Amino acid sequence: MAQFVQLVVNGLTLGSLYALIALGYSLVYGVLKLLNFAHGEVYMIGSFIGYGVLQVLGGSANPSVPIGILLPLLMLVAALGAGLVGVAIERFAYRPLRQSPRIAPLVSALGTSFFLQATMLLVVGARIVRYESEKLIDVSSGIHAGVLNISITRMMVIGVSAVVMIGLNIFMKRSKLGKAMRATSYDPEAAQMMGMDVNRVVMVTFFIGSALAGVAGVMSGLVYNRVFHTMGFVAGLKGFTASVVGGIGSIQGAMAGGLIIGFAESFAQGYVSTTFYDVVVFVVLIGFLLTRPRGLFGVPELKKV
Amino acid sequence: MTKGRIAATLLAITLAATACGSSKKTETAATTAAPAASTAAAATTAAAAATTAAPTATTAAKAAAGPCSAKIGFMGPFTGDAASIGQEQLNWGKLGLADYNKANGTDFAFVETDTKLDPAEATTGAQKLVSDTSVVAILGPAGSQEVEAVGPAMTAANLAYVSPSATRTSLTGGKLPSFARVVPNDDAQGPTVAKFIAEKIAAKKVLIIDDQTSYSTGLADSATAAFKTLNVTVARESIAQKSTDFSSLVSKVTDDTGAVFLPWQLAANAQQLGTQLKEQGKKAVVVGSDGVYSPKDFSLEGAYVTSFAPDVRGVASAATVVAAYQKAYDDKFGTFGPPVYVAAQLLATAVKTTCKDGKPGARADVTAAMKKVKLDNTILGGPVALDDKGDVVGAKFYLSQVKGGKYTLVA
Repeated sequence: MAQFVQLVVNGLTLGSLYALIALGYSLVYGVLKLLNFAHGEVYMIGSFIGYGVLQVLGGSANPSVPIGILLPLLMLVAALGAGLVGVAIERFAYRPLRQSPRIAPLVSALGTSFFLQATMLLVVGARIVRYESEKLIDVSSGIHAGVLNISITRMMVIGVSAVVMIGLNIFMKRSKLGKAMRATSYDPEAAQMMGMDVNRVVMVTFFIGSALAGVAGVMSGLVYNRVFHTMGFVAGLKGFTASVVGGIGSIQGAMAGGLIIGFAESFAQGYVSTTFYDVVVFVVLIGFLLTRPRGLFGVPELKKV
Repeated sequence: MTKGRIAATLLAITLAATACGSSKKTETAATTAAPAASTAAAATTAAAAATTAAPTATTAAKAAAGPCSAKIGFMGPFTGDAASIGQEQLNWGKLGLADYNKANGTDFAFVETDTKLDPAEATTGAQKLVSDTSVVAILGPAGSQEVEAVGPAMTAANLAYVSPSATRTSLTGGKLPSFARVVPNDDAQGPTVAKFIAEKIAAKKVLIIDDQTSYSTGLADSATAAFKTLNVTVARESIAQKSTDFSSLVSKVTDDTGAVFLPWQLAANAQQLGTQLKEQGKKAVVVGSDGVYSPKDFSLEGAYVTSFAPDVRGVASAATVVAAYQKAYDDKFGTFGPPVYVAAQLLATAVKTTCKDGKPGARADVTAAMKKVKLDNTILGGPVALDDKGDVVGAKFYLSQVKGGKYTLVA
């Protein structure tokens, strides 16, 4: 029982992060029908930005600002930085190829991914750096009652992800920009004819998606501590899997997909094998593709006759 | 005609003067000077200058043969996930060779090859070094899996290679005849850890988690066998180095597990696993292998960690070298660096014994010489001599405990 509860907690934490990453894939795919494979690297850069800000502010052992200001600040700066990286990627790697066949931006995405990874290797080196969050927030703090062990850091990750996702949902439904994004996603040409600035909509989409990855990067640093230049690859792959399972292009789908992948990974590690847990995760993906190719919340593509 | 004679004389004088000035170019300068002087038959000054130049040239030529110069390959994880280890090794290696050159008047230089702690990269690097015929010996590679990978190429070329950190037992005394190491093997490590956990920590049940590398599984197996002889129950798990999260693995640690042994290569990972144990309220004591020994990255209060070398800061005979290192680099080194210094000295000594006329002997001669090298006093606090398998005679493992962020030697 204790193990089961713990695995639920782990799955929720991991799933929240995957969901935030998956949202970036889904938003971009929704608007551009493009798989932004450099998204994992944006998450990695966000994590490093958070680490950098943390060091500037005195490090985990002796931060110069109170923790209540420090943590939101880390996330805000990382979101902003990652958002700008996302916008730059769109401007330089994808926009020139928007009218090309679909394979061209895909190759460009992979190239961008390697470029960002190598750049970070040059800038920060290959060392695994640690947030040392245990010095910031005691790991034995939080709820420790009976079978339930959940640290404050984990509660924060789950809480922040939930708030961000609910906020994004409201933004997409109510705000003018959100509506513009949905309209562009539905029919970019018609949207342009109605006087929408499609380039601006695409830019905002990339900014929001990448900012979410930046927040996920900081939270991953706080809860899993280790940050290194190749961390974006696997995280990006899992986020992508999550968005496919949930139905790529769908926001609710990305959230649900993230949680499903998080739970699959956690339970596979706990009950199946810590060696082969990724097999279980990707079996889930294959299962979904075979039985429900559009994912949980995906809508069949309308074919114009 | 007169103009030509004057020009020839001037040329001869200049060349002769250059001949006296630089020792390296003497020979060529003197020979060119001689015909120039004979053309200028009337210029007696020039002829005199040339004759004085001649004996100088022969002495200079002999002197040039004096310092033995050779190239030694240096393979290490200079970038990649283990770059912190690799950079430390690189610095200690450079210092070791520089010190040797200074003390022995040799001119040995490294050819550096980055392996990223990846057997595939190491193999490519090894092939490059083997095909460079001027390379007569190799320092490295660092990891056991890399040593295995480069083995065939090294054996075929009969090229001596000395690892400063590969501890897998099966590397010596088998298929790799030109291999040697300056650190003890895991046959010593597994039982040392098992004995300590069974007797000092008094654990009845132990969880061993390997990180799916050849080093890790080998050491985990050797420890498992040792625990069985001590009547300690062993549970085994395995997780990849690149995994983000260990918390689900940690949830499997039962309450009666007294210790968790981590034969890992990345200290930051061990720190994270230990933190997550605490987060989930588990009481098991963490014991890390030599790969985890890194005061900067692994500082879990109360945990234990082994090392294949002592902390040289506490070794009296190493004081001057340590001071030189701290001055040239930093004070952030662990136990991965200092053995590289010793390995560099061992290889340099082997190469020097084969030196003749300023040139090293053949690769096979260096390999044969390497096995006979005896270093009377090293910075590791004792003599280093190899047995016929290529292992250091009498090598042992050390155990330290983390107390207040510092490592204290306990066994």
